[in-house]
Amino acid sequence: MTHARRSLALTAFLLLGAASRALAQSCAMCGASFGPNDPTSRAFSWSILFLMAAPYTIVATVAGFMFYMHRRSPGRRRATIIDLARAARLLRRPATARGHQGETP
Amino acid sequence: MPRRIVSPPPALAAPPVSNTRLAMVVVIAGESMLFAGLIGMFLVFRLSRPWPPADLPRLPLGMTFLNTLVLFASAVPMSRALGAVRRDDRPTLVRALGLTALLGTTFLSVQGLEWVRLVRHGLTLGSSMYGATFYVLIGCHGVHLLIAVLWLAVTAILAARGLFRAARHAALEMCAIYWYFVCALWVVLFPLVYLY
Repeated sequence: MTHARRSLALTAFLLLGAASRALAQSCAMCGASFGPNDPTSRAFSWSILFLMAAPYTIVATVAGFMFYMHRRSPGRRRATIIDLARAARLLRRPATARGHQGETP
Repeated sequence: MPRRIVSPPPALAAPPVSNTRLAMVVVIAGESMLFAGLIGMFLVFRLSRPWPPADLPRLPLGMTFLNTLVLFASAVPMSRALGAVRRDDRPTLVRALGLTALLGTTFLSVQGLEWVRLVRHGLTLGSSMYGATFYVLIGCHGVHLLIAVLWLAVTAILAARGLFRAARHAALEMCAIYWYFVCALWVVLFPLVYLY
């Protein structure tokens, strides 16, 4: 590792260590205005968590609904199931009629 | 000549979710985010201070619980209406839609009466954050319910004129989805505002 890379890694490590306390707080205003166990900051934290979860919940619900409707739809395309053993038997059998092109197992 | 195994061509199928349903899902997702924002606002005030304030009246729990049962009961005739339109049973369809609208109107009327009582006891929009959050959150649901009742009334009139058939009833389905949505909203709002 070169000297420059080592300095960069050390700086990043120190910055991360210093930031760990700041990461646990809300915004700068909330961090300065309220104490560590202030009910207002806790209320804001819960509200923020709720608002963060809401769009994901809604999108997941819509996606689940779409998936359910797709599974339920009667005309959905399904993969063709091929009986491989039967297909192999058919392939081994000589053609009976001339000009016979194909067969669906 | 070598044999070939040919799969049959895939049949053309209708989309699993129709455009009307998709539009309704988008509307409901937007409405859900509106209510999520309001609930977030409610949580901030609910968790940050003594709730409810000592000098303000308590919310009418018993009457609202009975009213909640009325609202949830309205989902039954709504699903009957959907069943009736699929059978082309017009009289049952009109009756079921009328009953749903009646139950929705009953819910709104009782809520209105309770609001009048609360205002007389001093709980107004400007009296405190308690009153403000209550009226904004429950009022927003009330406005949605009022829109749904009006929509139901129009749908019932159209059904009485024979506009909906088993093969063509997308408008009725959209109305039903919206009605189920406002009922489902109350499942969240009632425990949050009245019980929590």
